[in-house]
Amino acid sequence: MKKLIPLLISSVLLILLGIAVGPVRISLSGILASFSLENIKIAFSSPNMLEENAYIILQIRLPRIILAYLVGVSLASAGTASQALFKNPLADPYIIGISGGAAVGASLAALYFPQYMSISALFGAVLAVFTVYKIAKVNGHIPVDTLLLAGIALGFFTSALTSYLLYVRKEGIHNAIFWLMGTFNGSEWDDVKLVLFSSTLGVIFLFFTWKELNLLLLGEESISMGLDINLYRKLIIGVISLLTSFAVATSGIIGFVGLISPHAMRIVFGPNHKRLLPASALFGGSLMVFADILARMLLRPSEIPVGIITALFGAPFFIYLLMKKKRGELLG
Amino acid sequence: MSSLVRLEVRVSFSYNQKEVLKNVSFSAEEGKLLAIVGPNGAGKSTLLKCLVGILKPKGYAKLNGINLLNLKPKERAKYISYVPQSSYPEFAFTVEEFVELGSYATGGTVEDALKTVGMWERKHELVTKLSGGEYQLVLVARALAQGSNVMLLDEPTSHLDINHALRIMNLLKALKKEKVVVAVMHDLNLALNYADNLLILDKGEVRWIGKPSKLTPEVLEEVYEIKAKITEVDSLKIVTAIE
Ligand SMILES: Nc1ncnc2c1ncn2[C@@H]1O[C@H](COP(=O)(O)OP(=O)(O)OP(=O)(O)O)[C@@H](O)[C@H]1O
Ligand SMILES: [Mg+2]
Repeated sequence: MKKLIPLLISSVLLILLGIAVGPVRISLSGILASFSLENIKIAFSSPNMLEENAYIILQIRLPRIILAYLVGVSLASAGTASQALFKNPLADPYIIGISGGAAVGASLAALYFPQYMSISALFGAVLAVFTVYKIAKVNGHIPVDTLLLAGIALGFFTSALTSYLLYVRKEGIHNAIFWLMGTFNGSEWDDVKLVLFSSTLGVIFLFFTWKELNLLLLGEESISMGLDINLYRKLIIGVISLLTSFAVATSGIIGFVGLISPHAMRIVFGPNHKRLLPASALFGGSLMVFADILARMLLRPSEIPVGIITALFGAPFFIYLLMKKKRGELLG
Repeated sequence: MSSLVRLEVRVSFSYNQKEVLKNVSFSAEEGKLLAIVGPNGAGKSTLLKCLVGILKPKGYAKLNGINLLNLKPKERAKYISYVPQSSYPEFAFTVEEFVELGSYATGGTVEDALKTVGMWERKHELVTKLSGGEYQLVLVARALAQGSNVMLLDEPTSHLDINHALRIMNLLKALKKEKVVVAVMHDLNLALNYADNLLILDKGEVRWIGKPSKLTPEVLEEVYEIKAKITEVDSLKIVTAIE
């Protein structure tokens, strides 16, 4: 567990860096002053009364960075769980179409019942996982090719649906495009609360069932070791959907964090979920905050959707994994 | 009253429409190693999968009266363990972590299991770096860590050199003293010389069951569609196919 300390430290440093940088330059003393007890009290009661610097720090940057971190944790944990569920190191909520399903749910809600975005995204995600699972399964196994094809097909379908729903909504096309590509721009404390709820619930469940996750890697064989595999698979599908859909509902479609995090951590920590889960959650959070800093700083003062950053790094990494898989070098 | 552990089985199973096990019935007990042999596709692996709950057959598998087929997986795992037909390990667990998977339901001890198969010193090595024979020993250890009364093994000696094969067979001979041990085997010579009872499965049916010493070439000829000869050299039985 000692090996987790560097990850914890990098999480803290990146969060601090994320608070310190932004299009508006705020001095260190200005940042520290924003965190005065008084300011925090005002932020809780009537945040609009905050003076400018304190408002930027407490109401814009802080919720944004914390949301980014929690979404990173959610996606990395959902990715780790998907890879165990599909027994496939190429699974990721984005690649296999779960994020797409959640996006359909979210944009449908945006159109007809905006107050139920997250719940509707959750339904979309659950539906997507079940669909991919049913399509990709061949004789009780889920080979890479059918998994990816099912994911791609579902991805096309859901992205067409989402685009259509955003198109007929007409208003806020610019925001809609940002959301489609994933962004933490405009994050609010309410978003943080939502994702804090889903990530806490999901991550705690996964941490408590690390033994079951390990067994899941053995497939049907694990029944003989006492795993109620059908029940546990359903629970895991629920958790992956919860983690992914709340992330998508608040910050749009952000790919590859769920793929990269477990992979990078498996190299260091091995496949045992007892260590892999916390490591990839911490790594995912840090990675997300780092990507968000890039998204804000590269084209200052305007910003890039963070999903573009993660895809620019993630897609080549995915291709690299596929090559490894082709050469038979890809092991869990 | 004897406290002998005894397993009584009667199962039928179909994949979709295809009948693979037709009322297969036998019993096995502590102290006697039961070897199941038969041609490819006879239903041997299917039979073991039915008994450990991977497949859902009709019928029963009673361990001293308790029907294992009706139990929840976690409960069943306390009574019966399974060594699957060895395939290449996909995940880079250490030997210790891998054997620990077996202790999920029972919390059995990994150390004893690994010591029994002689792999305790290598507990920190990755299973993906082991040879086929060493991996097979670790698979047996994983089942041992379950601490169950019954152990089923699917072709535990295939792909192994004669030294490792004998190591496994001697291990089974030691294990049968405290467990019901049932092994599916292809090597008739090993089966004849190590098993106390032999069951021949063919096309989903029990063709022959009895002590290896009672087996006649005629039975083998019929089941395997070959000409066979069984010779005995220094009380070792040797099966040869002629032509
Ligand atoms: N998943 C499956 N779906 C449909 N049929 C199957 C499946 N698995 C096995 N079978 C069929 O069931 C029959 C028995 O297979 P099984 O694997 O039990 O044979 P076996 O005796 O273990 O053979 P081997 O010695 O080759 O391992 C075969 O005819 C096989 O084609
Ligand atoms: Mg078989």
